[in-house]
Amino acid sequence: MHKLTFFFIVCVLLYGTAAPAQDKFYTKTGKIFFKCTKSPLEKIEATNRSTTCVMDTKTGMIQFAVLMKGFEFEKALMQEHFNENYVETDKFPRAEFKGQVVNNSEINYAKDGSYTAHVKGALQIHGETKTVETNGTLTVKGNDILINSTFTILLSDYKVEIPSVVSDKISNTVNITVEGVLEPLHK
Amino acid sequence: MRRKTVVLSISALVIISGSFYGFNEYTRKNKDLVSVSPDVQISATDLIQKFETDETSANKTFLGRKDFIVAVTGQVKEINRDENGYYSIVLGDVNNMSSVRCSMDSLHQQDARDLTKGATVSIKGAFTGFNKDDLLGSDVILNRCVINKNN
Repeated sequence: MHKLTFFFIVCVLLYGTAAPAQDKFYTKTGKIFFKCTKSPLEKIEATNRSTTCVMDTKTGMIQFAVLMKGFEFEKALMQEHFNENYVETDKFPRAEFKGQVVNNSEINYAKDGSYTAHVKGALQIHGETKTVETNGTLTVKGNDILINSTFTILLSDYKVEIPSVVSDKISNTVNITVEGVLEPLHK
Repeated sequence: MRRKTVVLSISALVIISGSFYGFNEYTRKNKDLVSVSPDVQISATDLIQKFETDETSANKTFLGRKDFIVAVTGQVKEINRDENGYYSIVLGDVNNMSSVRCSMDSLHQQDARDLTKGATVSIKGAFTGFNKDDLLGSDVILNRCVINKNN
């Protein structure tokens, strides 16, 4: 009987150590901040704090999804113009990025530290999809992975038209910052 | 001469009131939802079910307006606070992966501090959309949320 109990304990311990490591990480409270200010007199910037991100550390696959209507501006009028006239959020409610950490094999997810990630993928905004390539930082900290990246896109690439009357205020180049703390996904 | 004065006075009045309206409109902030009556009062589980059953029809009701204010009542599943101190409250059934996620208004962050997990609460927020996700569970997103004290 004692031998059986011992055998059982060994089996449980072995199973524990042989169980696969956590591969998928996620957040639903990622932050995206963008600015397309042209004139120093007027700040054109907005933040979205409900960005979803899933990452598979085994394959390097990384995906983001964001509801465009969730971008908050300081001025209500700016937010209304953004939703109704520029990115048409009722027609195109979601923006998505599906990509890959190209240098995934160089990142040691088992060891705490900060790593440079080279990410490449397809970004869909306003119904238009374009390839985006950028560098970001992946910081492994305990059980979590902190992500941070800044890159630029052109509004014209996504067919977002800026009326000439405000073209001196809104830049065609948009600076985007993505931040998030990814936790292990337990399913 | 008198006619000229009248015309000038009216023009000045139009210009001043126009500028005043323009300036107010230009500097207008998003409405604080504390004093705004909701367009709909609904439970978190019913709201999620509406979108999971027929997203297109639910979007027709909830989208297409500048602000559609939803007062949602449900059980607090999670209280998240990000590194900048911003709170988001997750409402719904703990046995269902889908939820209503309420991003608290920057002026009313302190209201979220008093909430406890498992408690039932009514939150008022601007409908932002439905984020369908088969892996993580889908979410109805509300922004600029405040605790609905009129419930």
